[in-house]
Amino acid sequence: MDELEAIKVTFFQECEELLADLEGGLLAMQEGAGDLETVNAVFRAVHSIKGGAGAFGLEPLVRFAHVFETLLDAVRSGTVPNTVELAAVLLRASDILADHVSAARGLGDVDMGASAAMAAELETWTDPNAAPAAHAPLVEDAAPVAAAPAAASVSGVADDDAMDDDDLGFVFVPQTITVEAQAADAEPSNVWTVSIRPKSDLYRKANETALLLRELSRLGPIKATLDDSALPALGELDPEAAFVTWSVRLETEEDESAIREVFEFVDGDCDLEITRGEGGVQDAMASLLAVAEAPPVVEAVEPAPAPAPEPIEIIAPAPVAEVVEPVAPAPAPVVEAAKPAAAPAAPAAATPKATPVEVPGPGQSVIRVDPERIDRLIDLVGELVINQAMLAQRVGEYGIAPSSNLAMGLDELEQLTREIQDSVMAIRAQPVKSVFQRMPRLVREVANMTSKQARLVMEGENTEVDKTVIERLSDPITHMLRNAIDHGLESPEERKAAGKNPEGVVRLAALHRSGRIVIEVSDDGKGINRERVFGIAVKKGLIAPDLQLTDEEIDNLIFLPGFSTAEKISDVSGRGVGMDVVKRSVQALGGRISIASRPGQGSTFTLSLPLTLAVLDGMVVDVAGETLVVPLAAIVESLRPKPEEVRPLGPVGSVLAVRDSFVPLIDVGQALGYRDHSPAPTDGVVLLVEGEDGSRAALVADAIHGQRQVVIKSLEQNYQQVEGVAAATILGDGRVALILDVDATIAMRRRDGGAPRPTEPTLIAAE
Amino acid sequence: MAAAIALPENLDLKAAAPLKAAFLERRGAAITVEADQVRRLGGLCLQVLLAARKAWDQDGQAFSIKGPSEAFVETTRLFGAEGALLSAEFQGAES
Repeated sequence: MDELEAIKVTFFQECEELLADLEGGLLAMQEGAGDLETVNAVFRAVHSIKGGAGAFGLEPLVRFAHVFETLLDAVRSGTVPNTVELAAVLLRASDILADHVSAARGLGDVDMGASAAMAAELETWTDPNAAPAAHAPLVEDAAPVAAAPAAASVSGVADDDAMDDDDLGFVFVPQTITVEAQAADAEPSNVWTVSIRPKSDLYRKANETALLLRELSRLGPIKATLDDSALPALGELDPEAAFVTWSVRLETEEDESAIREVFEFVDGDCDLEITRGEGGVQDAMASLLAVAEAPPVVEAVEPAPAPAPEPIEIIAPAPVAEVVEPVAPAPAPVVEAAKPAAAPAAPAAATPKATPVEVPGPGQSVIRVDPERIDRLIDLVGELVINQAMLAQRVGEYGIAPSSNLAMGLDELEQLTREIQDSVMAIRAQPVKSVFQRMPRLVREVANMTSKQARLVMEGENTEVDKTVIERLSDPITHMLRNAIDHGLESPEERKAAGKNPEGVVRLAALHRSGRIVIEVSDDGKGINRERVFGIAVKKGLIAPDLQLTDEEIDNLIFLPGFSTAEKISDVSGRGVGMDVVKRSVQALGGRISIASRPGQGSTFTLSLPLTLAVLDGMVVDVAGETLVVPLAAIVESLRPKPEEVRPLGPVGSVLAVRDSFVPLIDVGQALGYRDHSPAPTDGVVLLVEGEDGSRAALVADAIHGQRQVVIKSLEQNYQQVEGVAAATILGDGRVALILDVDATIAMRRRDGGAPRPTEPTLIAAE
Repeated sequence: MAAAIALPENLDLKAAAPLKAAFLERRGAAITVEADQVRRLGGLCLQVLLAARKAWDQDGQAFSIKGPSEAFVETTRLFGAEGALLSAEFQGAES
């Protein structure tokens, strides 16, 4: 049972990927890039979901997927034209399919009404004439389909004769499902019918029909129909003689010679008939049957001593081998690698992945690993890093010369540890694409709901970030996008009146900056109405009416708990989840969110998160007797200020002259509440740091101990969030040190104006 | 009660005769064909499987293919033999 559950988990993981592929393909179709390859990919995604769902008896999912698949199959074969309108319908259908998957997973409900309506709509597309009766099969569907989730029974397309009530759906009637369905319609000009009748020699010469079919499928989608009417009963069967024949419907842009080329190496060992169109299917089959019914291939009976020594006239065995080689072993590595350690788990796990005939390239092997195993590996590597640091420190304490073998060996160990760490982290890194992909639909939906016109522009989809971070990106991005459309963009009329394009642009971008990932959501709307925001904040008692705030500070008021600018709660963004919730969830990740706005030109939300929640390069410093780690990514330079470079500013603050500019001096000890009075900056060391918004500050510390790679241990998880502190770590000597949050420290100084920090529980790193 | 046959990895020309013999030996009882190891399925072994399927049906005995490997499913579909050899969930108009 556990094993089945495990397979099911794999299935749902694959469903997620398949749904993403599906949406990607449909979006491409909607943008007019609906080539056959895309349609095929879309079809396969739905088909694979159906296949897996069938294995687990997830009936509602199978039924819906089947209707969906039927329409896609019709699109694939050209029966239903591939249009932009169709893509829009398919996109909505894929939404419902995703709902079905979630429901099957126990993560939500499906609106069965909407699902039935969509199924009916899909059926109308498949067969416009069936429109009035479209609901009938659905009612029938409602009755549970006995033990077998025989999906095909739902179909209006599948030939009933082709289905047997046997749970294997066993049929020996040639299956003409696709062919018959399409024969009724105008047939695309690029359809061919290839009749293949292998002779026994074909197999004896180590050729293989499967390879021929696979080669054919490279020219375009194929559907083979086998005819086994000449097959003798098992007892009489000569296992090395050929009896079964095939009729293949092939759709390709290639010409007849390309098709013939596939059979080049089996010439003479295989009767071949190639006709244009599919009208010829029956005729071709009939003619083949006639041949097949003739006295069964006599030469086949003579026993072939194992690999028969090839007669010399056989057309070059070498090229044959060439054809065979690349094709046959290709699918193997994928299957192999996909197998979890316990082999028996493989069968069903492999099935939903119905990889189609496109033979995967040799390099495309994929391993599925339980994320927990990777997490454990990352934890272990973290411990290794700490251990290595401790070892290095001990060796240092013994005063061993840096040129000694021991010290050099340690250096190498450090190098290796670092490489291992990078590689391990890379395993878990993923492009943000998986999250971004879901957004175009969201934008369309929200725009529809709010009667606005919005176009989404995405940048940096391939920016990679640790999986732990990616999983939590979706919610804040969704919320920011909703907000941008609902509150940011004006209505088309307002935009026209303002001389703008009625269609608003919402930009979603991801980039790496200062060792963090930054997500920006910007709109070209009206920007934040600062007077109104200020007014609301005062009205709600969130700030004092006489408070002097900069524009930026007013903009950021929207993150205050209990703030909601929508006067009328809209369907879209006013569901009680305010920006404050977003901010809190981002902060919990060690991230920050801010907004910048220009009236009439739009707003930009900037969300910055650590690339990983695991390790950090830092500068170890001493402050008021405490050891702190300052993230290296934030440090521009370190220096010892001269007295003439320090200038007082205001009652308590002072600034440092660095080359041509002045930067505020912040005493870290005071900022964190370690001490009330700052020592003269000239007595200590100054770290010139740059915040994410580009603002600079000079942090005063007492001494620098050097650079160190540290393993991040969350403070939030183990204690609570502390302003100005990003996380904690364990140093080489086993002491706990706090990691400074540079941006928060700068922000604190701006807010408090450099005054000593008021009562805040003093947090002292434990020995 | 039910017999089982574990299909080898490579179902090529050389495997066809032993496969037929294996089926004949187990005739008369329900059979489970384990297809999880299959990496290659050739036309001759396909014929044996089809004939066996027919024979078991004639005998009124259950014939089931258990846990087909991805390669098995893919090649069976390629052959257009999914109706005969695969249970409903693996079927479909895959090209």
